[in-house]
Amino acid sequence: MSRLSDGGMIDRETTLNFTFDGQPMVGHPGDTIASALLANGQHLVARSIKYHRPRGIMSAGLEEPSALVTVKDETGSTPNLKVTEVSLRDGLEVSSQNNWPSLTHDRGATLALGGKSLSSGFYYKTFKWPRKAWQTTYAPIIRKAAGHGEVDATPDTALYDKRRKACDVLVIGSGATGLSAAITAAQSGATTIVLEQDSILGGTLLSSDATIAEQTATHWAEDAADALVSLSNVTVMTSTLAFGQYDHGLVQAVEQQTAGSAARSILWKIRAQKIILAAGAIERPIVFPGNDRPGIMLAGALQTYVRRFAVVPGKRAVVAVAEPNARADTIRALEHAGVEIAACLNAGDQILSTQGRLRVSGLTWRNTQGHRQKVTCDLVAMSAGWMPTAHLFAQMGQPLEFDAYTQSLLPPQTDGPLRPVGGARGVLNLRDCIADGKIAAHQVLAELQMHKHLSLTPPASTARPPQGFGSGKGKAFVDFQNDVTRDDIALAQREGYTDIELTKRYTTLGMGTDQGKTSWTNGILEIAALTGEDPAKIGHTTYRPAYSPVSLGTLIGTEVGEQMLPTRRTPFHGGFEKLGCVYQTSGDWLYSRYFPKAGETMEQAITRECHAVRRGLGCVDMSTLGKIDVKGPDALEFLSRLYCNNFAKIKVGRLRYALMLREDGYVFDDGTIARLSDTHFMVTATTANAGSVWRHMRKSAQLDWPELDVVLTSVSDHWASLAIAGPHARNLLTALNPDFDVSRPGFPFASVRAGHLGGLPVRVFSVSFSGELSYEINVPAGFADTLLSRVIAGGEQWDITPYGLETLDVLRIEKGHLSIGTEVDGRRTPADLGLGGMVSHTKDFVGRALLQRKALQKDNRAQLVGLESKDGATPIPIAAHLSTTPLGNGGPMQTCGYLTAAIHSPTLDHPIALAFLEDGQNRTGEVLWAHSPIAGKSVQVRVTAPCAYDPKGERLNA
Amino acid sequence: MLLIPCPHCGPRDEGEFTYGGPKSRLPALDLTADTQDWHRALHVGRNARGPLTEIWYHSSGCETWIEVTRDTATHQILNKAKGGST
Repeated sequence: MSRLSDGGMIDRETTLNFTFDGQPMVGHPGDTIASALLANGQHLVARSIKYHRPRGIMSAGLEEPSALVTVKDETGSTPNLKVTEVSLRDGLEVSSQNNWPSLTHDRGATLALGGKSLSSGFYYKTFKWPRKAWQTTYAPIIRKAAGHGEVDATPDTALYDKRRKACDVLVIGSGATGLSAAITAAQSGATTIVLEQDSILGGTLLSSDATIAEQTATHWAEDAADALVSLSNVTVMTSTLAFGQYDHGLVQAVEQQTAGSAARSILWKIRAQKIILAAGAIERPIVFPGNDRPGIMLAGALQTYVRRFAVVPGKRAVVAVAEPNARADTIRALEHAGVEIAACLNAGDQILSTQGRLRVSGLTWRNTQGHRQKVTCDLVAMSAGWMPTAHLFAQMGQPLEFDAYTQSLLPPQTDGPLRPVGGARGVLNLRDCIADGKIAAHQVLAELQMHKHLSLTPPASTARPPQGFGSGKGKAFVDFQNDVTRDDIALAQREGYTDIELTKRYTTLGMGTDQGKTSWTNGILEIAALTGEDPAKIGHTTYRPAYSPVSLGTLIGTEVGEQMLPTRRTPFHGGFEKLGCVYQTSGDWLYSRYFPKAGETMEQAITRECHAVRRGLGCVDMSTLGKIDVKGPDALEFLSRLYCNNFAKIKVGRLRYALMLREDGYVFDDGTIARLSDTHFMVTATTANAGSVWRHMRKSAQLDWPELDVVLTSVSDHWASLAIAGPHARNLLTALNPDFDVSRPGFPFASVRAGHLGGLPVRVFSVSFSGELSYEINVPAGFADTLLSRVIAGGEQWDITPYGLETLDVLRIEKGHLSIGTEVDGRRTPADLGLGGMVSHTKDFVGRALLQRKALQKDNRAQLVGLESKDGATPIPIAAHLSTTPLGNGGPMQTCGYLTAAIHSPTLDHPIALAFLEDGQNRTGEVLWAHSPIAGKSVQVRVTAPCAYDPKGERLNA
Repeated sequence: MLLIPCPHCGPRDEGEFTYGGPKSRLPALDLTADTQDWHRALHVGRNARGPLTEIWYHSSGCETWIEVTRDTATHQILNKAKGGST
């Protein structure tokens, strides 16, 4: 074990067992996978994406570019996790990625021997011919050789949740800056939320040996954390990564739940008045030849592993840290761990190369006097400076600006809801960070009028290291995750890909799961050094959420399977279930489809149900129709403006079929308007448009014609609606004991009656979608069961047959009635549908003006027609296209229309169809071809009127 | 995700609303308006950078249509939203 005997923030009392590539290893609560691997002496953890070079753990945070692994637990395996982001749990199976046959002997590494062969654009330049070979040969090989971990294809059994919060002040990050800002905000009484990606508060304080107010930094952090947790106006959320900033103070964060929780993670949407971004800074690696070997780590990460995790990271170290104070701090940490300092490089030294196969074993450099030096080592601590973590700021579109003083991309001054402070705006000194957090909190509190304005001057950002290190020639990595070297960036500049966006895409610099966290600033400085351009003019590519990868499961949350959409059931659902109903999903609805008897196929059931309606009695659920109650002195005027037909003379107790157009003149919806009193109407909308018609009416009433005195109420869910249809419908209505006249003259077609059926309060509408004598009986939804059982019992003598959506469709096709979404598809005028005569010429209405457009008035538009097969027997294929000629094999052919519905009519006992046909209304009797290349069928059909059954509508008045 | 000030319900998430497009003044329904009038009202937008008055329907709330003036460049909401009744 490479662990110090005491110290660190780990629970040595408890041992956690895990495996790495099958090797058993141990760690403690408080460890990350990274610290546990290092404590087990495991530096080599990955192979790089392109060259398959051995890679180790470079950082101690989310910026880790190299050490990606697949982690398996009881819920399955997850690829591409950074070892630095996963808290160690007992029983984890950790495996390395992108190597074959093993991590230590990776055949893919032989590719790397070719050296420059895999430079930028290599694939594009090399695998150009033969053309087909890219798909068949090259791509599969390259995809196998390059890439990250593999997705676990088994269903994810873990649960996820989504929740919301709101607060006055949201503090992101809990280092010195964040804690000081949070305490300042909390003490003023502001509701405060603190988000910390790590499992405990403290940030870099946890790996600092500084003292604050005569306390160790760690104790200061603990005290501050205790103070925050004890305040009722503060919510502290650890293991919670704020990954994106959105409009109006919205921050999205993902909270990882501890093992044993019901959910694996929770997606938080937090709306804050002010956001203090105290996310700190990321250390910048040094670009030098061989800078990617395992054992070469960021200096700050080494301090973390030694001080927070009590890891002994190696035996002999070379320290290459540009900033003098940081250099001293690193040496203190390494010496504390008993690491021998083999050499400490001075600013200006030129690093020439490193040695070692699976781990660094030596480093060669030329000192400022020009002498070549070489030492053996198993550890290199490197640091070229720090880069602010201002990603969440930049995500909103305002660019970061390269600042020569700090040599980093800094957020500009802002008065937006999010304020970068501390390390996130280049303030690195501990005391300055504490002051900056406090001042930023005072500032936002003053803006929220929760504190008086204090004229405090924020501390200046910290100057860059006075001088860096030089570098020799060789494979010097800039982007470790994507294997982008200095030479690749140079090549891109030489080949003309000089724009920063092009450089990124040509070289893949800054792509991948780390999105260039450790590489971007170095990339800009490399381009500047190569081209002599001012780094401030190079700019940066677009920052987008997520800051760090968020799993799809987290984003989806609970919206999977049956939880994806609400399932709506009509009030008759339970009753129909007892009648043997088979259901189908129709929009949100679970709708009755058909009612098979024992041994019946669906086709047999549909035929039986159709015959029952045409010859005897059937009943069907109509509850999903939209029902809108329209009341007020101007109700008739309101409806008259909305619908295109004229119904000004509609009498109380009567109803009309009505057609609603969109503003652009196309048909929107159809329904019935029933007049219940002078100033009271009930209007129906189709199931599919129930929501949109309601919304349209609300808009008209509220915004377009506020002068009309009308009140709208959606009563769709309040009424259960059951239609009884068939020659015996009136007999059944009579048998249900109405307290109103239901005789033919007393209750004619297209009427409405309110009253009671055997005591049940009802509204009965004499309307018909089936073409038979029919009554839609509406009862308050709570009476649905009672109504259904009375209808079934009362209809028994006429063998009442419940029917569903399938039969409803067959019956309406026989009648040539319209279906929304099939015939009414948003491109039809009333005339196209054979309803041109309904359009009023004496009043104005929505859609009138634009219906007059020339193209909508052309007389040879595609129009609704009926079809029957020419021989009266051959089935007509669904979705066929119409043509005047037989199907040729000479490529595309001229069509003149297409089918919207095709059935074998049970009533007429021959195939019929509905279709849109160019100039169709003038082509009755013409014989055409219906081609369905998909079904492999072509059938000769004869054009008829849309209504194939009872065209005069005599059965309605039976 | 915008935070939309509903005059009836207070500030609410955009997800509760249905977008209704830029506010347009529809021609009067008195048989005088012609195709061009409606074409201009419905199809010809300015698409300007800056303040734009739009209509939003608070579908998961009070079910009223409200008018919101939003800066198309910054998403800043400039008015105190006013809503319909009924």
